[in-house]
Amino acid sequence: MHYLKLLQNLLKLNIQMSLAYRADTVVNILLNLMWLGWELLGLSIIFNNTETLGGWGPGELIALLGVFRLVNTLMAALIWPNTEKFNQSIRDGSMDYTLLQPVNSMFLTTFSRITVWRIWDLVLAIILIVVGINMSGDITTPLSTLTFILLAVSGAIVIYSLWIVLIALTFWFTKFDNNVTILQALLDAGRYPVTVYPVWLRIIVTFIIPIAVATTIPLQALRGDLEISRVLIFIGVGIVSFWIASNVWKAGLKRYSGASS
Amino acid sequence: MLKIFKRLWQVNWAEQWQYRANLLMYLLYWLVSPIIYLAVWTSIAASKGDVNGLTANDFVTYYMTLLIVDQITSNITLHIFAYKVQDGSLSSELIRPIHPMLTNTLVNNIAFKALSIMGLIPIWIVLFFLFQPNFSSVTWQGIALAIPAMMLGFIIAFLISASVTSVAFWTTRVYSISEFYFALFLLFSGQFVPLTLMPPIIQSIARYLPFQFSLYYPIQLILGKLSPGQIIEGYIVALIWLPISYFLFNWVWREGVKRYSAVGA
Repeated sequence: MHYLKLLQNLLKLNIQMSLAYRADTVVNILLNLMWLGWELLGLSIIFNNTETLGGWGPGELIALLGVFRLVNTLMAALIWPNTEKFNQSIRDGSMDYTLLQPVNSMFLTTFSRITVWRIWDLVLAIILIVVGINMSGDITTPLSTLTFILLAVSGAIVIYSLWIVLIALTFWFTKFDNNVTILQALLDAGRYPVTVYPVWLRIIVTFIIPIAVATTIPLQALRGDLEISRVLIFIGVGIVSFWIASNVWKAGLKRYSGASS
Repeated sequence: MLKIFKRLWQVNWAEQWQYRANLLMYLLYWLVSPIIYLAVWTSIAASKGDVNGLTANDFVTYYMTLLIVDQITSNITLHIFAYKVQDGSLSSELIRPIHPMLTNTLVNNIAFKALSIMGLIPIWIVLFFLFQPNFSSVTWQGIALAIPAMMLGFIIAFLISASVTSVAFWTTRVYSISEFYFALFLLFSGQFVPLTLMPPIIQSIARYLPFQFSLYYPIQLILGKLSPGQIIEGYIVALIWLPISYFLFNWVWREGVKRYSAVGA
């Protein structure tokens, strides 16, 4: 309860900050729509030349675009801005203040910056998923919808945990402020079903930088392509990776000694 | 003048060399989307035999060539210049008797390019073994024709990017404007897919725009895919765009510098 209230206040604070830049918000939303137009044009060019891509039809790729945008929103609304703040706080020592607060430091590091206008992207993503699934004619049951949501959440947790590990590495290697580039770079791989990629790339985006776990795999569950044992494994992976991440974070904090020393 | 360029080269090379780790990260970042497009289109071509006459190998060679051509023709002017207008550090360059954009920024771009091509070579060789492209359509004549085309492509793209970057003199939203420019580039340059697969309307517009000289036109020259008529048409259009982009830049720059108020200085 305490944390929910805190989150509410952080959100309020970030809304106030972004209200100072109202015109920028409008510009950003327009640009966002422009990129959506480009993405849909790209898909239409692909499907002018083929009926299926890696076994997926146009409707399914629109839904995948929606799921990709969910992950992208997580990145753009929370992960990138907070990475910037975190790296800055390691460099100039203001991490001290975060640690002095009577709240979990990982929580504060995650939520202190929120790019508020990105919530719009969330709405757009959900529309894309619903429209795409309807277009594809795939039959969804309440059960498959539930597994989709569970897997999308657990996929997002896997990516989040990887992020925590990557930035926590900065506690050991202070100069490592390129910490999230690898995540940023491979994110785009989530736009298409991983089944079309060559094996080596598929392995990278499934196991090493697991973008696919949050994009292709939940959608496979929604289509009913995933066995129940696999579903359970992926949910388990989500829980385990969160546990690993919070332990790495704690171990990293022990190494932290402030910027002046 | 040559001495000035030599000195600028030393300074800018040293500056870029200092950030070589960042540069590797940038290369990694930049590599991903061509490789994804390559994978998507080869998988389509492999499942259908060909896409509009293009085989899987055509796509592999197209994107593998794109990786090299893009490094040669692209520029990072926005990232090395726009902030100087915003934080006022341009002032010290303006009082020098040389043009800040056409000397210092240009040389910095070239130093960055030289370093990133050095970084690309080993990566490209690894990709060569992973994708095993068949480059048998490449001829020496094709490469010889492509070299001046790439130079033209670089100069035109640099001048247009410099014009877009100079919008920073008017507004702090220069990054949003350049995003719009980048979207046009994606649409008309052949970055996403060889232009022959684009909708006919986009193809016929792209023929007369400068974007194709950054990627599509030199790539197709290297791969020997253009007819003599297309080659001549391309060179004519490029030679028309060269003075247009130069005058555009000169005009935007002159008006922009007048508005420059040296914030923070």
